[in-house]
Amino acid sequence: MSSSRKVVELFYDVVSPYSWLGFEVLCRYRNVWNIELRLRPSLLGGVMKESGNRPPAMVPNKAVYMQSDLNRLAKYFSVPVCFPENPFEVMFEKGSLNAMRFLTAVSEKETSGDVMLERVSREIWKRIWSNDQDITLPESLSEAGLKAGLSATEVEELLQLYKSQPVKDRLKHTTEEAVKHMAFGFPLTVCHVDGKAEAFFGSDRFELLAHCIGEKWLGPQPDKPTAKM
Amino acid sequence: MSSSRKVVELFYDVVSPYSWLGFEILCRYKTVWNIELQLRPAFLGGVIKESGNSSAALVPNKLLYARSDLKRLSQYFSVLLCFPENFHNAYAKGSLSAMRFLTAVSEKQNSGDVMIERVSREIWKRMWSADQDITLPASFSEAGLKAGLSATEVEELLQLSKCQLVKDRLKLTTEEAVKHMAFGFPLIVCHVDGKAETFFGSDRFEVMAHCIGEKWLGPQPDEQTAKI
Repeated sequence: MSSSRKVVELFYDVVSPYSWLGFEVLCRYRNVWNIELRLRPSLLGGVMKESGNRPPAMVPNKAVYMQSDLNRLAKYFSVPVCFPENPFEVMFEKGSLNAMRFLTAVSEKETSGDVMLERVSREIWKRIWSNDQDITLPESLSEAGLKAGLSATEVEELLQLYKSQPVKDRLKHTTEEAVKHMAFGFPLTVCHVDGKAEAFFGSDRFELLAHCIGEKWLGPQPDKPTAKM
Repeated sequence: MSSSRKVVELFYDVVSPYSWLGFEILCRYKTVWNIELQLRPAFLGGVIKESGNSSAALVPNKLLYARSDLKRLSQYFSVLLCFPENFHNAYAKGSLSAMRFLTAVSEKQNSGDVMIERVSREIWKRMWSADQDITLPASFSEAGLKAGLSATEVEELLQLSKCQLVKDRLKLTTEEAVKHMAFGFPLIVCHVDGKAETFFGSDRFEVMAHCIGEKWLGPQPDEQTAKI
């Protein structure tokens, strides 16, 4: 069975709340679907720029809709997404460049699959999209790393590594890969099926995605299927 | 049971392929969910302008993505949707006349949404299945006849669609959509416990069902198979 595992890549940026939803769902399905999930930390700002798109929050009605949409989805998906007090400052003024470089560094240093990248990504998401905490300063990234289970030494190494050119280049490269898959936003999930890449934008294509990879969508909590599925 | 039917409004424009998907799904669920579906033909161009949004068609990657996304969705949802060969041309011609015609149909109908549903479907099929015009009177005439209207009725509707009353009504419906925070279509507004829950797009049915206390049974609720 494992020889036929379908590779599923998730291109994401922690500045994107919808990416968090997609991330949590795919992590839950890692042991349910016959897939190999690969986390690809990338830069949403880069994708927006390259594709000529605009952040949705720039359109007032979209920003209002997103708040209520995310409130509903947070409950339905059981992911504690909560809007920061000043979303504009968080998303556009402060951004996520350092955070995504840090995560790229974590990915570089990873020795067992995506375990640490998954944990650190989650801790950073919790900071920005649950607790309204900073994700731009070294102290913030350090806290997230420690909470994820990294040692102080490992965190120190990562804080050196994330400023290095190879890491900057790797983040750029991953972002360019996303653009090549027609990305105009995140999350972008790319499923490799029969030698073909099927790209899905957003966190609202899981039912269709499952169908395309020959799996079954069991709702946002596959380990707790309800009578309705 | 009928006294507690939840009103579900669908604001749509035939120029929008995703609206067609949402439309077909909701029509299928009309007899499955305890809802009263109200079709609200509106003008996407107006919504995009009023909300300060820009057409998705202007971002090349979005358009590329939409092509493959809609191909997959049309198969999955069993709606015979197909991109027009010269999409930009078709999009530029717009849908104002079509939506005015549908508003006229809505004005004149006397039994629920039966005729507006049929004529909407025929116009969608023209642009999004058969790559045919949806701007000329002859096109609306064909669509109307295919939907089961008589030649006389079609003639009346063609007259009515040009009058101020219908233009105003389309404008009003479009403004209503904007008041519901629309920035695109389809926009589904569910009225639950005196509150309006809005859902954009044709990819929120699962959570929408949850919000209105119903069950999402996939795109073909009447063909539930062992896999559900």
